[in-house]
Amino acid sequence: MKSYDYKKSRSLFKKAAEVIPCGIYGHYSPSPLVPATAYPFYTAKAKGSHIWDIDGNEFIDYMCAYGPMVTGYGNRKVDEAAAKQAKLGNCVTGAPPVMVELAEYMTDIIPCADWVFFAKNGGDVTNYAVMVSRAATGRNKILMISGGYHGVSPWMQGDGHHGVMDDDKKNVIAVKWNDVAEFEKAVSENRGEIACFISSPYHHPAFGDNEFPAEGYWNKIESICRKEGIVIITDDIRAGFRLDMRGSNEYFGYKSDLICFCKAIANGYPISALAGSKELMNAASKVFYTGSYWFSAVPMAAALANLKEMKKINAPAIMIKQGRKLLDGMVSIASSYGYNLKVSGSPSMPYLRITNDPSFMLHQEWCAECTKRGAYFTSHHNWFISTVHSDKDLKRTWDIVDDAFKVIRKKYGDEF
Amino acid sequence: MDFNLIKANLNLYAVIKNLEDLTLHDKEMKELISKWNLSIQFIVRNGPKGYIEFTDGKCSVGRGKCKRPSIVLYFFSPLHLNKMFDGTANPVPLKGFSKIRFLMKDFPKLTDRLAYYLKPENDLLKNIDYLKINTIMLMNTAAFAIPEIAKENGRGKIIASHIPEGIVEMKILPDFHSLNISFSSSGIVTQKGKAVRPSAVMAMKNFKIANDFLNGKTDPFTAIASGDVMIKGNIPMLDAMSLLLDRIPEYIS
Repeated sequence: MKSYDYKKSRSLFKKAAEVIPCGIYGHYSPSPLVPATAYPFYTAKAKGSHIWDIDGNEFIDYMCAYGPMVTGYGNRKVDEAAAKQAKLGNCVTGAPPVMVELAEYMTDIIPCADWVFFAKNGGDVTNYAVMVSRAATGRNKILMISGGYHGVSPWMQGDGHHGVMDDDKKNVIAVKWNDVAEFEKAVSENRGEIACFISSPYHHPAFGDNEFPAEGYWNKIESICRKEGIVIITDDIRAGFRLDMRGSNEYFGYKSDLICFCKAIANGYPISALAGSKELMNAASKVFYTGSYWFSAVPMAAALANLKEMKKINAPAIMIKQGRKLLDGMVSIASSYGYNLKVSGSPSMPYLRITNDPSFMLHQEWCAECTKRGAYFTSHHNWFISTVHSDKDLKRTWDIVDDAFKVIRKKYGDEF
Repeated sequence: MDFNLIKANLNLYAVIKNLEDLTLHDKEMKELISKWNLSIQFIVRNGPKGYIEFTDGKCSVGRGKCKRPSIVLYFFSPLHLNKMFDGTANPVPLKGFSKIRFLMKDFPKLTDRLAYYLKPENDLLKNIDYLKINTIMLMNTAAFAIPEIAKENGRGKIIASHIPEGIVEMKILPDFHSLNISFSSSGIVTQKGKAVRPSAVMAMKNFKIANDFLNGKTDPFTAIASGDVMIKGNIPMLDAMSLLLDRIPEYIS
């Protein structure tokens, strides 16, 4: 099978590194792609479930722009709604009417939502959610899951990271996922001081197996939070609309006070949303929070069209089904070569790891070999499935997976 | 934690460690120590203890106490030791008065040469032989400083507490120099050489790239993306280790 090279990507990156910090920064940085040289850095075009890099290499995209692509690149219905709105106006003086329509639609489909606030990125609304919880409770502290990710504001970042001061983290308490006893202890030690508990609906860290909530976990957490007056914030930025159109809290059977959405709302058009209960609407209205482009109408029109389409086709069910089919095939191929490919998390956004080598190196090499053959796999982050990953894509992916396993088997023999 | 204590630990456990490579790679220094057979014990009140041994043309630097040192140098405080490293104070010899001449005349030749390599000027770095030794020393200092930063620096302790158990291998290709750092519940230990089964690897393409990288002249993300620095394995270990490395310039430049 032909293996790709990335001459143009490398050349452009050299230029980029002269004028852009890191060349490519943030979650698009090539640094966690191992080895970085096995990956394309720049995408020239995209359609459906495929991307083409600037060297002309075609990939079946299993990262979906790290989540925002959900109904296919260049989805006709979404793009037409966006184009129609663009003709009327995008960022203009005065709020766009489509904003009300979108808020009404989201409050209709999301049981916990009595209101919706729009912004641009996931971090905008996780930060706002915390401010709302503080405004509502008059409390300082934020309870979160150790290893959870809620954006890039200083309080959300890891200890010791650059630009993060000790004071930024002093009100953040981290507890282990699925550990009710530790949660109770943290609440007890900080009684009357915790404004909120912010968590993804299930634990999906990078570089680690994803974990669903243990039986009864969320019910116990909900019960403690209600008793202690702690606001429950569901960070559904990544999983939102990939498990359940009603919000992932419904999938796991608990009530959330605030839910943060972003990635899958508008199929790549920039918009995020905080949905909340009526009890918190007054507090939300008192927190001054805004941004220059938060009233842009085009992403709102795209979001409305995308959410309607996703609801109509039951997008989460399609993604889960197709994801499961893909993964079952891959696990079977891995097994035929003597490798154990462990899948965790939802099949619509799975995390994979070859367990034969605990250092990740074998897994990294295999993901790199797959990517060089046209199935874009990262080794550090969960993947994303869209509604347009077809059976043809899956078949091609299985061929690539097989070839990549053949390569590493030949290289390492029985070492793993 | 006290600034001077951390700096003293770095000086004694990371900087002085470079004498081993200095006497291995610098011909003049190799010749200088070829007939030395003695040991120097450093004792710092309320601070670190370490020693240097010269035996049959080989120099080895260790932590703690050595058996029957030829010379014992005492320091009243970590600050006192740091001042000696800055050239503004002298130690108090407790043992080895007959070797005062060695301490005054011979040993400084070695430490002066160490300073020469550790405080490079740009012109010196154009000399390939100098660059090679400077690079080895930079890497040694960084790797041997990690346990100290992780153990004593407030933020370093928090960063280290999140590092999973395993071994990180740092190396300069092709087989130029390698070190490994073990992280375990019993502590963090740096050793020279490759790791048998590392959890994570950071490999720098050649010594020139390594020098720029370790000197902070290139940003790590760009170096990794361009393939000049290759990483693999447990990347969070490398991320956390990099945060520890970034704290070293707070103490030594």
